[in-house]
Amino acid sequence: MAESHAHTLDEVRAAKSRALAVFEPLAAVVGVGITRIGDGYGLKVNLREPPPSDTRLPTEVDGVPVRLEVVGQPRKQ
Amino acid sequence: MQLDSARGLKRALIETVLTPFVSVGPQVKILAVPAGPVAGVSPVQPSIAVGIGRKAGHEFQIAVRCQRRELMTGKEVEQIRRKAKNEVDVRYIGPVSKRAAPWTQLRHRPLQIGISTGHVKVTAGTLGAFVRKRGGTDPHILSNNHVLANENRAKTGDAIIQAGTYDGGADPADRIAALAGMARLRKTEPNAVDAAIGKLDDALEFDPRTIRGLGKLAGLGAAFVDEGTEVAKLGRTTGLTRGRVTAFELDNVVVTFDIGPLRFDGQIEIEGADDGPFSRGGDSGSLIVEANTRLAVALLFAGTEAGGENDQGLTYANPLRSVLDALKVDLVAE
Repeated sequence: MAESHAHTLDEVRAAKSRALAVFEPLAAVVGVGITRIGDGYGLKVNLREPPPSDTRLPTEVDGVPVRLEVVGQPRKQ
Repeated sequence: MQLDSARGLKRALIETVLTPFVSVGPQVKILAVPAGPVAGVSPVQPSIAVGIGRKAGHEFQIAVRCQRRELMTGKEVEQIRRKAKNEVDVRYIGPVSKRAAPWTQLRHRPLQIGISTGHVKVTAGTLGAFVRKRGGTDPHILSNNHVLANENRAKTGDAIIQAGTYDGGADPADRIAALAGMARLRKTEPNAVDAAIGKLDDALEFDPRTIRGLGKLAGLGAAFVDEGTEVAKLGRTTGLTRGRVTAFELDNVVVTFDIGPLRFDGQIEIEGADDGPFSRGGDSGSLIVEANTRLAVALLFAGTEAGGENDQGLTYANPLRSVLDALKVDLVAE
């Protein structure tokens, strides 16, 4: 477990480029971005549908916390 | 009759007695339809609606609702009575019509931010803003590629109309511009923007600053749009809505288009601030501004049906500076 501290934008940007590679084999990812978590920044990973119940998804990438959200399929409007 | 019997009979009545009403009649327009090719929107019936009503206790009956008085005694209702062995409740409800069209879906001259527009072959999207090519003086309108350029399929010079086709606009009566440029949508590599411009026809008046219900556009906002930023937009379908940025620099946003799934990187994500969504189909092309400063920050292009604090869906938008740079244009805000 990484030590809890507020992450800077640069730290989160660095983790973001790894997050897609980490999550894509596990779930249908339709967005990996930056959001605020606690006092600092964290990663937001959007999923098209809920992951299978037996899939354990990471709660952090390189020590940066991750917020998961099931958002459905993005469509042009 | 029992509920199951009523359901079965209702289905049968719709397939037999009411068939003529399903295949004729004026086209019904759905309010929230994504901007896309006009073909594929089905004509629907007026006239007679059939449902199920409770007669007493666990007894049900067929409910028939007529929009015209003569239908009350017509042969269709008579057939329904006979097939339902008179277990029928027939009522006259008068014409059911679509509510008056919202302001954003009407024809407007001078042109303004937030109104219905589109390529003639596209249903309708939103006129986002007015821009000028860098080094040029001619005014252009800004919206999405999928609104003004029909997902790469349109040609330079094609007619752009206001209101959009779905809102009753037609070429040449409602023509306002000619397609003048697009950021091509790419299938095999990440996209940054879904954007296009149309050169305004000569002598057409426009108001580049008023965002109806919100105030005057104040100019171009900063490149960095933080989580928590309060934003607003005026769009063709949902009108003026307020929202909050929930994520930024969002990569791998895989969006469904007619030409296939397309990936977008570097996007902004927004949730509705109140009980409703920030956007729906037809709002594409809307200019998104910071709610307090009215500085423009993004161009709306996509959304989901789920997610966000109120679970009304999330909206995706291109950072406006990326849009302006891709098209080599500047925002007109004075």
